[in-house]
Amino acid sequence: MEKEWADLNWEEKREKRFQRWLSPDVKFISPEAEKLYKERVTRFTKAIKLEEPDRVPVMLPTGNSPAYWGGGNLRTLMYDYPKTREIWIKYMEAFGDMDVYDAPAFVPSGKISEVIRSRMMKLPGLGLPDDAPMYQFVEGEYMKADEYDLMMMDPTDYNLRVMLPRSSPFFEPFQRLLPFRSLMDSSWVSILANPEIHNMFQVMMGLTEEHNKMIAANMELNGYIQTHGYPTLLGGGPLLGAPFDNFGDALRGTHGIFLDMYRQPEKVHEAMDWYVKLTVEGTIKNFPMTANPICLMPLHKGDDTFMSDKQFAEFYWPPLRAILVALVNEGLVPMPFAEGRYNRRLKEIADTPRSGVMWWFDQTDMKEAKRVLGDVCCIMGNVPTSTIATGTPDQIRDNCRRLIEDCAPGGGYILGGGASVDNGKFENFKAMMDAAKEYGVYKK
Amino acid sequence: MDKQWADMSWEERREERFKKWLNPTGVKFNSLEAARKYKERATRMIKAIKIEIPDRVPVHIPAGSIVAYNAGLTLEEVLYDYSKIKPAWIKFLRDYDIDSADNPGLFSGRVYEILDYKVMKWPGHGLPSSQSMHQFVEKQYMKADEYDMMIKDPFDFGLRRFLPRTWGVFEPFADLPSFSSSQGLPERLMAMCQDPRFQKFMKAIQEASDENVKSQEVIAECSKIAMEEGFPPLAGGIALAPFDTVADMLRGTQGSVMDMYRQPEKLLESLEGITEESLESTVNMANFSLSPIVFIPMHKGDDSFMSVKQFEKFYWPTYRKLLLGLINEGLVPMPVIDGSYNTRLEIIKDLPRTGVVWTFEQTDMAKAKKILGGHTCIAGNVLAAQLYTHTPQAIKEYCRKLIEVCAPGGGYILSLGSGIDKCDPANLQAIVEAAKEYGVYK
Repeated sequence: MEKEWADLNWEEKREKRFQRWLSPDVKFISPEAEKLYKERVTRFTKAIKLEEPDRVPVMLPTGNSPAYWGGGNLRTLMYDYPKTREIWIKYMEAFGDMDVYDAPAFVPSGKISEVIRSRMMKLPGLGLPDDAPMYQFVEGEYMKADEYDLMMMDPTDYNLRVMLPRSSPFFEPFQRLLPFRSLMDSSWVSILANPEIHNMFQVMMGLTEEHNKMIAANMELNGYIQTHGYPTLLGGGPLLGAPFDNFGDALRGTHGIFLDMYRQPEKVHEAMDWYVKLTVEGTIKNFPMTANPICLMPLHKGDDTFMSDKQFAEFYWPPLRAILVALVNEGLVPMPFAEGRYNRRLKEIADTPRSGVMWWFDQTDMKEAKRVLGDVCCIMGNVPTSTIATGTPDQIRDNCRRLIEDCAPGGGYILGGGASVDNGKFENFKAMMDAAKEYGVYKK
Repeated sequence: MDKQWADMSWEERREERFKKWLNPTGVKFNSLEAARKYKERATRMIKAIKIEIPDRVPVHIPAGSIVAYNAGLTLEEVLYDYSKIKPAWIKFLRDYDIDSADNPGLFSGRVYEILDYKVMKWPGHGLPSSQSMHQFVEKQYMKADEYDMMIKDPFDFGLRRFLPRTWGVFEPFADLPSFSSSQGLPERLMAMCQDPRFQKFMKAIQEASDENVKSQEVIAECSKIAMEEGFPPLAGGIALAPFDTVADMLRGTQGSVMDMYRQPEKLLESLEGITEESLESTVNMANFSLSPIVFIPMHKGDDSFMSVKQFEKFYWPTYRKLLLGLINEGLVPMPVIDGSYNTRLEIIKDLPRTGVVWTFEQTDMAKAKKILGGHTCIAGNVLAAQLYTHTPQAIKEYCRKLIEVCAPGGGYILSLGSGIDKCDPANLQAIVEAAKEYGVYK
């Protein structure tokens, strides 16, 4: 008899999720496509498990580059779903062999963003020039220094009545809602029927079609890509980050959170512990079976230059580690993406279950990363974004060769960029792929 | 310069609120007589609360179903036909020379029907048309294992568990993902809007609100009329003892009694949170009101419902905290104790002198006066059963005795021990007459 999910250990859970990744519920266009698909997924799962695959897998940092290659830009992705599909498929066909290929990820719908204007995010044509290649996060103290308790006492209340109205003028009518107690009598009737709130919901209902259209188009495209033999890697696991960043990025802002570390350190700890619990209980536990188990986790404020080693050890790492371990225990594969440099953090972050985590490095010294983490976890990176955007294929090849020499021995390495590239050169991505095939083959 | 609110003692704050109550702005009294009576009545109440000697014992008869009955109407009629309410209310006010009056205190049967309210039955909706009272439907609207959710994310619990169980139109909310994380919130709201049931919900809300406006207009007009006729409003706010919030609305009697044994810590923890929330919202509500009185119907702490030990552990500490919080804001809690409190009188005395007004139903009034007299104003306790079955003479005689026992030294309000739905109007008249005849302080 098969064991119940709860009785499996984390490796067994992960194996189930890997199996699902390996055998997706799609109809491949040919046996050849299916064979390639399985080879590609296996390459990744072996690297993650610190085994030697047939060759070094590659996660090309193509990002939104196909849009520019195809004559469009970020706005095309935001507004024109058929055109996006057309370009994305053309790019896939022109490129040929790739180990993963994802439909555009994390692109907001233009039409919806126009109506639900965010104070936290600028987009091309909405606060940024039409041809801007990236969106811009607008940091601020969206949560006040004395509101930690308010948030922890009643998070849904805080999110709906305080945070949403601050993050977007569209949601300002939510300020009229009353707290939980009022739900016990009928005073909410007149509040929910308030014309502004009513109108807000009407507008949202009007936008659902657009919302569905975008999601359907994205799913369809990812499905199409898979049937042609390309695994997808993004969007499988929950999108999480470091608890410190949860408060430092969108709520208190850099300025606010750094003051808090000095002025109310206990509160910051209390809030992060609370957040860890909420995330583990609410999001991670019993996470459903999805297309792949990889959880991308962009990390920000823990970089070498943002905080001292002591602060990292005290504030950043323990709650982040708790999230990583919880993900591992659920059979998921956290892929923390260390933006900036982590040269001084390597010893610390080695303290996770062996082969449980895969670290994606941006500007960290990869040789050193391999030395410290080589026996602990798979690492990925870090062909410089600048070289991909402006360098030559030869430079790229050379860079990749050195990375493979440093990091590939013994397995546990994925060739990747330092970050996704908004508008990278086609031939440079090609050069990365070629380098993996040329230098990255493991001899049996 | 005037003292700032934060620097005032509770007595000073209460004095400010009394002043506001005594001198309402923007009220156009029907006559000089009405204006004079308003002042007289409010003064009578204030003096009783402060245990000073008023001109006579104030008398209070709570409105409700009796307003309909007194005008020869059924409760069903006034719950569905708002046009009948105002004339009935005016008749009630003119019939009884009582010392305070708010409004008829009726809800709209239609609004509750549109929203599919499950917690109440009333004539025309689950009860026969002849019924003169509505019926509370007690159930475990919160499950035994949901304390954590209620404590850690109250609004989430309210939105996705409590509302869908108590109001039919909220059922689609039971299937929503939680809103406890701020990430991707607009997307989750949008996903919610996609559900066709949600669109039905919005329609029902609109419909209920339109209906609610109609019914509320009538109630608001009635409140205005009462003041213009010279009746000070009484209920500036309403609250529940934290334990009753759990035992009435959330876990039910059975559930809450089980919890006292099976998960006492969780129960106590939840009471703390409810106390804070309740204090804040009650003060907010009262700040918008003219009257500083906070009406608190009390249920599950009665002599027969729990032991003294349980009362001291579960009921009293958080309730006392709530009362102290209200007193500290200058408000006057006026708990109405259903059942009897003969074994708890010493315990509940542990509050600032003149801080509250206890209304008793079946508590021994002589004992109450003996223990609380000179310390706290007491009110009561003509019983509904007496009003149903006794003659006006008997009622008047009973009131005379009450006055003899409770009035000396001040600090007494002659009143019912509970609400009343129907009785011989002459019986109510007898109460008013008794106050005037026997309650004058020399």
